[in-house]
Amino acid sequence: MRLPLLALLAAGPAHGYELKQGLEKLFGAAYPQPNIGQIYVTLGRLEKAGLIAGQDIVQPDRPNKRIYELTEAGRESVDAWFEEPSPTPRVRDDFFMKLALAPRTGRADQVTLINKQRRHYLNLMRALSKLAAGEDQDNRIAQLLIEGASLHLQADLDWLERCQEELE
Amino acid sequence: MRAITRWALADLRTHRGQALSIVLATAGITVALLLSAALLQYAVSPWQRLFTETQGGHVWLRTTAGTPTWPLSGLDGVQALSGPFRTDSVTVRLGAETAALDLRAAGPHREDIAQPKIAAGRWLDGTQGDGIVLEQSVAGALWAQPGDTLQIETGGTSVRTLRVVGTARTAERGYVRGDVPGVGWASPDLVGALASAQTHPGQTVGLRLADPGDTDFVVQRAVAAVGPDHVLSVSTWRDARSAAEGDNRLLGLLLRIFGLGALLAAAVAVTGGVSTRVLAHVRDISVLKAVGFTPGQIAGMFFAQHAVLAVLGAAVGTAAVQIAGTAVPGPIGEAVTLWQALPGQSSSLVYTCAATVSAIAAATMFAAWRAARIPPIPAARITAPGRRSSARSRTAFRFRTPPSLVLGWRGAVHRPGRFAASVARLALPIVMITVALSAAATLDRFQHPPERAGLTAQLTAREDGASTTGLETRLTQLPGVSGVYPATEVAALVPGQTRTITLRGLGTAEHRYPFAAAEGRVATAPDEAMAGQGLLDAMDVRVGEWVRVTVAGTPHILHIVGRSIETEHNGMVISTSLDTLQEGQDSLRPQFYHLALRPGADPAAVSRALPQASDGRLEIRTTAGPADELSPIRGVIAGLVAVLALIGLVDLSTSITAAVRDHSRDLRALRAIGLTPRQTVAVIQISAAVIALAAALAGTVVGVLTSHWLIDLQGRSSGIGAGIAQTPALMTLLLAGGAVVTAAVTIATLPALRVVRGRGADTGITIY
Amino acid sequence: MTRTEPATGPAPHLLSVTGLTKTHSTDGARVRAVRGVDLNVARGEFVAVTGTSGAGKSTLLHLLGGLERPDSGRIALDGRRVDDLSEARWAVLRRRRIGIVFQFFNLVSTLTVADNIELPALLAGRTPRQARASREEFVGRLGLGGKENSLPGDLAGGEQQRVALARALVNEPDLLLADEPTGSLDGKGTREVIRLLTELHQQGQTIVLVTHDARVASAADRVISFYDGRITDDTTLDTTDQHRAAAADIVKLTG
Repeated sequence: MRLPLLALLAAGPAHGYELKQGLEKLFGAAYPQPNIGQIYVTLGRLEKAGLIAGQDIVQPDRPNKRIYELTEAGRESVDAWFEEPSPTPRVRDDFFMKLALAPRTGRADQVTLINKQRRHYLNLMRALSKLAAGEDQDNRIAQLLIEGASLHLQADLDWLERCQEELE
Repeated sequence: MRAITRWALADLRTHRGQALSIVLATAGITVALLLSAALLQYAVSPWQRLFTETQGGHVWLRTTAGTPTWPLSGLDGVQALSGPFRTDSVTVRLGAETAALDLRAAGPHREDIAQPKIAAGRWLDGTQGDGIVLEQSVAGALWAQPGDTLQIETGGTSVRTLRVVGTARTAERGYVRGDVPGVGWASPDLVGALASAQTHPGQTVGLRLADPGDTDFVVQRAVAAVGPDHVLSVSTWRDARSAAEGDNRLLGLLLRIFGLGALLAAAVAVTGGVSTRVLAHVRDISVLKAVGFTPGQIAGMFFAQHAVLAVLGAAVGTAAVQIAGTAVPGPIGEAVTLWQALPGQSSSLVYTCAATVSAIAAATMFAAWRAARIPPIPAARITAPGRRSSARSRTAFRFRTPPSLVLGWRGAVHRPGRFAASVARLALPIVMITVALSAAATLDRFQHPPERAGLTAQLTAREDGASTTGLETRLTQLPGVSGVYPATEVAALVPGQTRTITLRGLGTAEHRYPFAAAEGRVATAPDEAMAGQGLLDAMDVRVGEWVRVTVAGTPHILHIVGRSIETEHNGMVISTSLDTLQEGQDSLRPQFYHLALRPGADPAAVSRALPQASDGRLEIRTTAGPADELSPIRGVIAGLVAVLALIGLVDLSTSITAAVRDHSRDLRALRAIGLTPRQTVAVIQISAAVIALAAALAGTVVGVLTSHWLIDLQGRSSGIGAGIAQTPALMTLLLAGGAVVTAAVTIATLPALRVVRGRGADTGITIY
Repeated sequence: MTRTEPATGPAPHLLSVTGLTKTHSTDGARVRAVRGVDLNVARGEFVAVTGTSGAGKSTLLHLLGGLERPDSGRIALDGRRVDDLSEARWAVLRRRRIGIVFQFFNLVSTLTVADNIELPALLAGRTPRQARASREEFVGRLGLGGKENSLPGDLAGGEQQRVALARALVNEPDLLLADEPTGSLDGKGTREVIRLLTELHQQGQTIVLVTHDARVASAADRVISFYDGRITDDTTLDTTDQHRAAAADIVKLTG
């Protein structure tokens, strides 16, 4: 959450609510409703780290808004974030633990495990497809996001096949 | 049904080029076959040629004098009359020879029908005191030439002399001693002067029919119209033809085999072309099967499509031959002209067309059957597995042979089955071309020099009148003459035969005749003899056995030690030395002298010098060879070779197109490896050259063996004897082989360039 | 057509397979592509067969469509035994009752799009007018308007597959078989095809397809895992709210 907020602020100063709206507009239904509280907490942390600077604006008939803007350090962070490749995706080590340990415990069968996991993934995939169908077709970002998730799931399913091959 | 039509039409529309090329190829093959049929007719039947040229008469009637012949022109089926000519039967004598002659009154004007064709000298000029024109066969029997003087015996006491002004050929029956009288022509005054009761004065009239098939019917009606009492003899064109056509069986067999072989080669070429097309359609066919076409529908569609194209092509080819065939220069044009004038031409045309279309249809059926067997799965691998990379290729690479060479070689022989099929298909026309060249070489052999064919002497000289002593010595002294051999020929009887055979006495003990033995050895000792194949067959004896021949009551026992090539008298000839013959009959004198010439001597020059040496009392004749009548054959053979080459080209281009398509995928990979475009083109060219070379080698070898077998077979059965077959010169064969390979490389160049530029034959990479 | 078994009312399953085996022998090696497969497909079901490549999925599909002949086993289509039919009879059966879509080479290269789609209709004996009417209907449904006179070579991959689908469906077959229909397509093409298949399924079409693409597989009701010639799993998908929440989770941003 931290870096996306910093990146949004790189476009110009904004306050918390604007940032929430910005996230919603960008990611649409694919991104579940951002929690405004979580945003304010993150903003506070960022300010404490010196990456953004906040300023209160007095509003006559409303509570004060706090407007944030990027500091130099913050700008550098954003640049560095864009500069470096993102870390590798996590491997679903939870499932792999199960698969590796099943024969030891004698309480579960590997093939059944694989089949169950596959069913789960397929159902997830289906849900993702429904999500994509529900989303606005022209929202490229959202569609890409969902497609990215689908491809990951595809890779996971392929990996399941490999596991099945190796273990048979 | 509608679905099939929809697909067939769309297919043709898309592949217009291919459809056009199939039509053209079929037209080409039809033209080739029709021309072969025409050439066949032309070559095999000199009689037929003559008959058509001279507009011969189909029916000849000899009637008594004064019989009205005008009813004949009104008969159904009679197109025109020749004559009537006043005719008298006389006997003519020249020197020692006599012959029976039917002398006809004729004028100087040329007739429309059955005008004899002058062979030597001139026709009658209609002046007073003009001489006689003899028909060629009787002139030969008399040794008569223009300028000779004949004595005419008319059965009475008077004897008249007449000068021979010319010899001519007709399509009537030739002279047969003792059986069929010869024919001569002279002015009406002369014939009238010769007439007497013993000459059976009468008239001869010839009928030309609109349809030769009506001959028998017309003969009946004609005899009835004239009155059976008035008809002395009737002969038809069929008699004349069967009498004339004994000797050409050799060519007949060879050329008939060509016809069938050409048809086979054509069918094979078309199968190749259609199969190539089928392979190009494999994916479409799979899809259609998946959609729901039954195998029968697929096969039927392919067959119908190609059958229609083939019929179209055959029609185009036939039209081309009928319309433009006569305009082709050389023997081909003459042959077509002759053929079109022949009776029964339209039926043979239809027959040939039908045979072509049937052959192509049969070939198409096979390809269509293969199309129907394609699996209905479009992505199935249709390529058959090839051989793995052989050690030889690897070695070749190691030795730095040009990569194009190795790849081209591998590309050609990669799949042995398909390689063998391509080679076999191409070898078939090559076999036939080789047989044609062998036939030409055999004929050549008979012409020059004849001694290797068993006819050692080239000139024959005959004395006119009483013989003088010292003639032999004088002849031997002539320049260019290496030997003079007295000779005689008599008719002899053998046990078990009703016909007579010819017994020759050649040479004496001092001047032994140089026989040439095709089998066994040369006769040297007295009582030894050489026999022709015809005699051996007729008497059922073999070389090495003894036979008994009787000459005018005198028996001779002879030991056959060798077989010679005898081209006359159906091979029923036995030759021994003159001494042997003279043993029983002292009175036997040499009838003529065989002159053997030194190698390099010109027979014409020597024959001109001879009359001087003998004070003009010698007549010269060149020894006849079987090839004399057959000189137009050379042109015919050239025509046939061209025809076969056409078929071979069609086959070559289909093979190469198929090969290029097969390899286009590989070639792209090779280009990626680093082969330059020029090398890639070279690879394809070398593949084509490998196939062509293999076919040329195989075809030539098989062709030489086949031709030897065929020609010897025919020689043996016609009495000439086996052993006459001659292989074409090595240079000729090498040139022919080189031509094949060059043609292959040239044909392969254009598709190769297209592949290299990326506009390949079926690409196989685009996905539908 | 002769019947080997009398049909007594509608069969319980549209497609019923028992003990199917098929062995390929190529290049001297024998590959047992299908080993003893039992399968029942009900009317209106959408079945996806997944598995690693080379596992024999395509062979199974070819057997179901009569494109290959099984070594042993029974196949019954709508209660009628079909595994022993000759190639010609299979062709007739395919015209009306089975539509097949392949990964490549679906269309006849020399026919236009319109002709390709109408071809099965004409084959099945319908008049040209009926065929044209059906073709226009499917051209509309599959969004191919304006391309009727193009040749297959002029179309993009996704368009070609749509034409292939139209051709497979023009006779409203009982069963649609598809072998990797999205295998040669890009993301957009794949989405189109998935959308179409889902629509068809909703309209009641029975579909059996082979795929290694999880998105396609997840569009089906029932996913069969095929491994080494045998069915190792046969599961019906039931997407619950939990799955939907989990999906949303995956998409959630991190960092």
